[in-house]
Amino acid sequence: MDEFAPLDCLLPSGKQKICLVILNQPIDERYFHVLWSKAKIRACADGGANHLYRLTEGRRESFLPDYINGDFDSILPEVKAFYTQKKCKLMETPDQDLTDFTKCLAIMVEEIKAQKLQIDTIVTLGGLGGRFDQIMATLETLFHAQKMTDLPVVVLQDRSLAVLLQEGRQHHLNVNTGLEGKWCSLVPVGSTCLTTTSGLKWNLVWAPQRSRWWSGPPE
Amino acid sequence: MDEFAPLDCLLPSGKQKICLVILNQPIDERYFHVLWSKAKIRACADGGANHLYRLTEGRRESFLPDYINGDFDSILPEVKAFYTQKKCKLMETPDQDLTDFTKCLAIMVEEIKAQKLQIDTIVTLGGLGGRFDQIMATLETLFHAQKMTDLPVVVLQDRSLAVLLQEGRQHHLNVNTGLEGKWCSLVPVGSTCLTTTSGLKWNLDNQVLAFGQLVSTSNTYEDHDPKGGRKPVTVTTDKPLLWSMGIKPL
Repeated sequence: MDEFAPLDCLLPSGKQKICLVILNQPIDERYFHVLWSKAKIRACADGGANHLYRLTEGRRESFLPDYINGDFDSILPEVKAFYTQKKCKLMETPDQDLTDFTKCLAIMVEEIKAQKLQIDTIVTLGGLGGRFDQIMATLETLFHAQKMTDLPVVVLQDRSLAVLLQEGRQHHLNVNTGLEGKWCSLVPVGSTCLTTTSGLKWNLVWAPQRSRWWSGPPE
Repeated sequence: MDEFAPLDCLLPSGKQKICLVILNQPIDERYFHVLWSKAKIRACADGGANHLYRLTEGRRESFLPDYINGDFDSILPEVKAFYTQKKCKLMETPDQDLTDFTKCLAIMVEEIKAQKLQIDTIVTLGGLGGRFDQIMATLETLFHAQKMTDLPVVVLQDRSLAVLLQEGRQHHLNVNTGLEGKWCSLVPVGSTCLTTTSGLKWNLDNQVLAFGQLVSTSNTYEDHDPKGGRKPVTVTTDKPLLWSMGIKPL
């Protein structure tokens, strides 16, 4: 079975071919440079453009996104004007039922197809901090993403990474990049999840002698 | 039906009698002073004590928590020594299956009973930011809390508030304190929720909220006559449902 290394995207020598989405949260500069240089397509969802603009002050022309989408209620007028003038694609996506992030991914999936690119992962900067409902909206987008593409959508902010694991297959997560922090977590955000793991300190296993699912270190 | 005003706790003139839990996140100073002065019991969960210690530099003796619990893997030695020396109750709770926050609430519920206090709300500072698994753990604690007490457990950080609404009753949320920010949200974090609401800009009419289907974020309050106040938001749900809302800058 194929392995997936969630933190490969942050390794300069990493193998994954990625696309990058920037959301409306402060950008981790260290992550930004690795990801931007590797990404085949780079996009901002609405206010993400403000953060890109601020971070790249003095050399903005070297960091132009391929497109910026959104209902444009967060992007600052000066930022919008700048990227428009630099001929970045600005795509107004006013649909109120879907978030800017979801729509950004939809466009990304289309662009990958249209350009016939070989992509392994879509990486997102931001989404795990700030307004609490927006954090929840990020999780919702990850569910929608699974209907749009088979590509993993990885979300990074500060020192956390999140990715939604699909049902029905065994995932092999390579956690050997050297960038792994000490904690990890499995959270059933949408529904209850019947789960089996290996490789964790506290694995989830079916313990027949106890007739129940059990979480704990190996006996 | 009784109304519940989630942001009453931040009103100096608010009516709710509260207890306070401080978690291991930067403390919003403006919230801290209002909450600390009102709270009948004040506690820190492990590293929450570090933040209290730092914030109250110069007058720490005036801000001693009633207890600090945890497995003590986050509290700094100097902080632990200080509060021990000041005779705060330090309660080591090493159980690895429950988080420091959950255990802090369990102790809080016991203390409220033991002291026969009349309390309306347990307010928590922190829990909605930082390490992502810890944010998820906060939500898990809110589920456990519902088995421990009928008291609402409100969580505040930065400019967000979250509270888990119980199943099986109609909630009347007073959103007229003047501290409400413009957004609000209903998120079915544990399971699908059959939901009906009123008072929101985008209401739900016996609809299923579910991840991947419909989740209410970036919602807001229905327009109201500026001379009158907002009508309460009502929410009915068949499973615990997470309400969150924005807080205006104080």
